Amino acid sequence: MRVRVEVAQPIRSTPLRRRTVSVGGQRAWRCDARSGTRPNPDSAGRGHANVRGGTARRVLIVDDERSIRMLCRVNLAASGIEVLEAADGRQGLELARKERPDLVLLDVMMPELDGWSVARELAADEETRDIAIVFLTARADPADRRLGEQLGGVGYVVKPFDPVTIGDFVEEVLVRLERGERDQLRRAISSERER
Amino acid sequence: MTTTESSDAADRARRLQRVAELLAEAITPQEVLDAILTDGVKAAEARAGAIGVLTEDGENIELLAQRGYDASVMTGWETFPLSAEVPMSEVIRTGEPLFLASVAERNERYPALSEQGQDGHALVVVPLAVEGRVFGGMSLSFDRDIDFEPERREMKLTLARQAAQALARSRLYAAEQTLRERMTFLAEASELLSSSLDYNHTLSQLARLSVPGLADWCTIDIVSPQGEIERLAVAHEDPEKVRWAYELQDRYPPDPDAPTGVPHVLRSGEPEFFPTLPEELLDEAIGDDEELRRIIDELGLKSTICVPLIARGRTLGALTLIAAESHPHYTQADLALALELARRAALAVDNARLFGEAERGANAARALAYVADGVVLLDHDGRVHHWNPAAAAITGVGEDKALGCPVADVVSAWNALTSHVPLVPPGAAARPVTVPIVLEGRERWVSVSGVEFEDGTVYALQDVTEEHALEKTRSDFVATASHELRTPLAAVYGAVRTLRREDVELTSDDRAAFLEMIESEATRLAKIVDQILLAGQLDADAVELELTECDPQQVAAAVLESASVHVPESIDLDLDVDRAVSVRCDENKLRQVLVNLVDNAVKYSPQGGRVELRVRSSNGSCLIEVADEGLGIPSDERDRIFEKFYRLDPQQTQGVGGSGLGLYICRELVERMDGRLSVESEPGKGSRFTVELPLRR
Repeated sequence: MRVRVEVAQPIRSTPLRRRTVSVGGQRAWRCDARSGTRPNPDSAGRGHANVRGGTARRVLIVDDERSIRMLCRVNLAASGIEVLEAADGRQGLELARKERPDLVLLDVMMPELDGWSVARELAADEETRDIAIVFLTARADPADRRLGEQLGGVGYVVKPFDPVTIGDFVEEVLVRLERGERDQLRRAISSERER
Repeated sequence: MTTTESSDAADRARRLQRVAELLAEAITPQEVLDAILTDGVKAAEARAGAIGVLTEDGENIELLAQRGYDASVMTGWETFPLSAEVPMSEVIRTGEPLFLASVAERNERYPALSEQGQDGHALVVVPLAVEGRVFGGMSLSFDRDIDFEPERREMKLTLARQAAQALARSRLYAAEQTLRERMTFLAEASELLSSSLDYNHTLSQLARLSVPGLADWCTIDIVSPQGEIERLAVAHEDPEKVRWAYELQDRYPPDPDAPTGVPHVLRSGEPEFFPTLPEELLDEAIGDDEELRRIIDELGLKSTICVPLIARGRTLGALTLIAAESHPHYTQADLALALELARRAALAVDNARLFGEAERGANAARALAYVADGVVLLDHDGRVHHWNPAAAAITGVGEDKALGCPVADVVSAWNALTSHVPLVPPGAAARPVTVPIVLEGRERWVSVSGVEFEDGTVYALQDVTEEHALEKTRSDFVATASHELRTPLAAVYGAVRTLRREDVELTSDDRAAFLEMIESEATRLAKIVDQILLAGQLDADAVELELTECDPQQVAAAVLESASVHVPESIDLDLDVDRAVSVRCDENKLRQVLVNLVDNAVKYSPQGGRVELRVRSSNGSCLIEVADEGLGIPSDERDRIFEKFYRLDPQQTQGVGGSGLGLYICRELVERMDGRLSVESEPGKGSRFTVELPLRR
């Protein structure tokens, strides 16, 4: 998954520059691994970009892999995002209902309840249907992407991914949702192919 | 009456009596003729005698036999018309005997004969009649002129009556004999014709059966499917002549437009019968070909019958009978026999052809009945015309319900099944499409291809559910392997990326956690890569074992020892050993197997519980058991867990990761060490895997 975002932001010595934020997807990962694209320390580091009206973004990470949760927690927190964690689908669903995060980073292959089922249940519940779902999974098959789109996902990140840019990515998704670009985001899920 | 006369009379009576006795004994026409012409003629005190009979058509007189006449006198009199103005013709016409005292009287009465046989004397011609019906005449020639007195006349008439009776009887007998022979022949022919369905062979045999009884030559020609005349059989008693006849056929192929013969019969469907083959017909056929004339002369063709083989209004071929060197001229009776023979032969050929067609049809039906692919034939309106058992099995709809009905009515999923199937014209490569359909609540994967032809569409359905399941297993593996590789990779890469962040100050705990993450996830990655490589090596049979003497108890203890470091606290590890045993195996591989089994036991015990490793010996074997109190394995999956790529719960909804290779590798390794790996399990109660290795003696 690559989301092309045009942001007018100073990066290091360059005062204004178009920046591409790429998260997840093998291509994106390789590219980022080489280029070493990083978020701007002045903005992401302090996190003020992710605070709107004095309230921080709240992201729920649902993954049975402790390592992945930790990677997300540390990096999202660095972007000023408040992070909630769940170690399986059941727990994730409960937490989402209770905490109503802005966005869920949702693994697919999990014990108890898999990510697909969690997405289905969130969409079926009026209380939780507005929570943005971004799948964060090792499943890279086009059929899985299509399923992700069908289940209402607005983002699809394939592991391995660059956790450093995850904060910007989450912010961008939320901004575009606020702009009413939900359909575009969804369509992008299955039209994106790993090259 | 003088003494001489009375003694003459007595003598005549005795001679007549003698002839009557001889005639009574004679059975065949030849014997009768012999008796008449030797003893009869002698009894009549005649010098010569001849017997003629009416031919079948009643228009000619055929001279059956003669005795005492000079051959030169008789030349040209083998057959003569009934209408001729000659004594025998007149006698047979009128039924009245003729007594001529001298040649002069004969010449006077028959001027046409005045040039012939002038050295003769008295002549008597008496009719041969039975029950008032004249069928022939007997002539008697004498060596002097005789004025026949009534008594002598009566004697000749008596002789004629006796002769007529005997001849008629013998001819009847002969006819009966012939009839019986024909019946026998027909019976034999019928039996032959029904004996085999290879009608080419049968007809050849029929031709052979026909010679020499029915003909000197018998040929059978067949109209080929291409409409050409094919000579199927030529029969003659002499095989050399048969070969020659075939050569002749090659040299002079039949003209399909010939006005006579086989081509004519095949065209017209009417029999052709020449009691005597007309010279002009032969002349016409021969033309100027001297070679052919020599051949035809040599053949000595006398009489022919050519009858069509007709079945159900179709002329299949022709049967030709030829009388040449030995067979007498053909009669109406022969024609009747030939027609009957042809009728039966045609019927047999037709039956054989029909049977052949039916059999081909039946074979096709049989093939369709047993073929594993469903075959469905639809007309242009989508009505079912054929629905084989495989189609019934795949769709769950019986042939009885489907035939004649619109297919969409009987199989509701039909449109879903076939709407994406490209219909190709006959001869083009079918392009099967695999579609999932739900039939009777089961999901089936069906490969469908369709061919559209003149009369409708034929679909081939193949149930590929099994193949699809296999394919799914593979793709599940890809998903699993992908997950198993990508997850640790994500952790390692993510940890490195995070550690290198310059904009974030990580706590020392976090830094330590990320470093540990890199180490453990890299190890995990290495392990899964190892497994995939090992599975590949096992497939290629490229795994080398180092068999040494080893103590399974030590191996088991070491495995538990290292496992205890990382298992969750909810798991109790137990080791139970019997007494010291020794097995011959590859210690590293055994360790690998036990590590895997213990890992599995822990992995499938998410609620915790006891994992026990037991080593004991039994009946020459060392049994190493790994038992848990975990999820257990459903009975229908128990055999499949050792299959490559097979995983319980491939979606990982139970949260149990793995490559799907562990147990496959375990079983392969154990079997390569001459051991066995088996499992007992109760869902919800736990599983027990047993490695059985032969004890070292």
